[in-house]
Amino acid sequence: MTSIELNNVSLVYRLFEKLTLSAPGRRRSNLGGNIAKSGTKQVVQALDDVSFELKAGDRLGLVGPNGAGKTTLLKVLYGIYQPSGGRVSITGKVDALFNISIGFRPEATGRRNIVLRGLISGWTMAEIEEKMEEIIDFSELGDFIDLPFKAYSQGMAARLAFAIATALEPEILLMDEWIGAGDASFQEKAKQRMDELAEKAGIIVLASHDDALIRRVCTKKLTLRAGRVESLT
Amino acid sequence: MIAVLNGAFDDISKAVRLYRVWIALAHEDIGDQHRRTTLGPLWMLVNYFAFVSTFVFVFVTKDASNPSYPAYVAIGMLVWFYLSEIITMSVSLFQREASFIQGTTLPLFVYVMRLTMQSIIRAGYSLAGCVLILLLSGQGIDTNWLRSLLGLLLIVLATPAFIMVFAFLGAFFPDSEFIVGNLMRVGMFLTPVFWVYSGQEGIQKYAYHWNPFTYFLEGVREPITAGIFPTHALVVTGYICLGTWVLALLLLGRYRKRIVFLI
Repeated sequence: MTSIELNNVSLVYRLFEKLTLSAPGRRRSNLGGNIAKSGTKQVVQALDDVSFELKAGDRLGLVGPNGAGKTTLLKVLYGIYQPSGGRVSITGKVDALFNISIGFRPEATGRRNIVLRGLISGWTMAEIEEKMEEIIDFSELGDFIDLPFKAYSQGMAARLAFAIATALEPEILLMDEWIGAGDASFQEKAKQRMDELAEKAGIIVLASHDDALIRRVCTKKLTLRAGRVESLT
Repeated sequence: MIAVLNGAFDDISKAVRLYRVWIALAHEDIGDQHRRTTLGPLWMLVNYFAFVSTFVFVFVTKDASNPSYPAYVAIGMLVWFYLSEIITMSVSLFQREASFIQGTTLPLFVYVMRLTMQSIIRAGYSLAGCVLILLLSGQGIDTNWLRSLLGLLLIVLATPAFIMVFAFLGAFFPDSEFIVGNLMRVGMFLTPVFWVYSGQEGIQKYAYHWNPFTYFLEGVREPITAGIFPTHALVVTGYICLGTWVLALLLLGRYRKRIVFLI
């Protein structure tokens, strides 16, 4: 059964003092979050005591001001960041869309980019070939699919990225903000696809500043502030 | 220590299973670099010929008595260009891959293998040029070529380890990109790539004997140009390879999860 459970999760980055020949004032790594002191070291408290539970069919909207920890939380859920405290328990295959252009090669065609993005997501060649036409159909790129990716508009890129990310029906889909890039018809189509995913006992977590989008897509809302959970409704 | 090594082996085994990813990305990288050109990747062969011919024409008069000098330079350039490229490109590897590292869960070793694969493809073009020069300079194909393969194999085996060590160096010490770049440019003149060591005293003696690159070069070159089995060079190269791998595994196991916060 697909589920996400976070118990008292915290994430503390130590501000690494990179060895550099530049002036002392410019030595620090440029990270966001709350800067605190831990002994003689400076640390960033990006998440602090975050707990919540999601079950199959839940669609969670993450909201909060810049630097609240939305993207950090998504990256903890995806496994890019290891939490420094607490427990993360995830059951289900996770896929994520953090950055539309990641893994896309500007010079390669849309078709070749589907192959590359599929490989990066861990698909087999058989799975990629099986899903190829469905992805092209969903993205509605038509003949553009055989043109270089650099010829695509941001909306077209978003269509292709979303079509690929949802093609293998991940049990848990994590998305960061970007969905507003497409036009109204694409957003409606994307919402339908997300409804289908959720109905198939999936979980969706979407971080956004767009309240209307969160209301339209999500069934739960978690507000983060300074890395802490302010409310969960 | 065991946990650190287990972490490194876990990262490596995951990356090896994703071999299609780094092979595909490396091919795209090479293709993108030459996509708009008429000759395409053959430019790498042209560059290699241009360098080797220049050095042979400039220095051959001094070594007119040595008929194998073109072969000496051709093999020296092949190995030096390969080593120089992997080292200088490794220092900025994690910075170049920042969007992938911060946006996917691909193991770090995938990026190491992507660069390894790219470098091997590039070296393949130089190798074709090198073989042609060897044949034109009268070095017929014989069993000595097989002995050279052992030296090449050791270099390829050492490549991911070199890449990891220099990539971590670049992540923790950003200035090293420029320091290493300059050292490698100078290093070409301090390494017997195109000059021949024949027992001279002074700086050439130290540059020959105390330079690790010498042994990588001689392990490939000696069987063909001198007709001897390069036991000493291969043993030194083997120790360097082993030591670099141990260091690379410790760095990967200990710091792989911290890289995302550093870049």
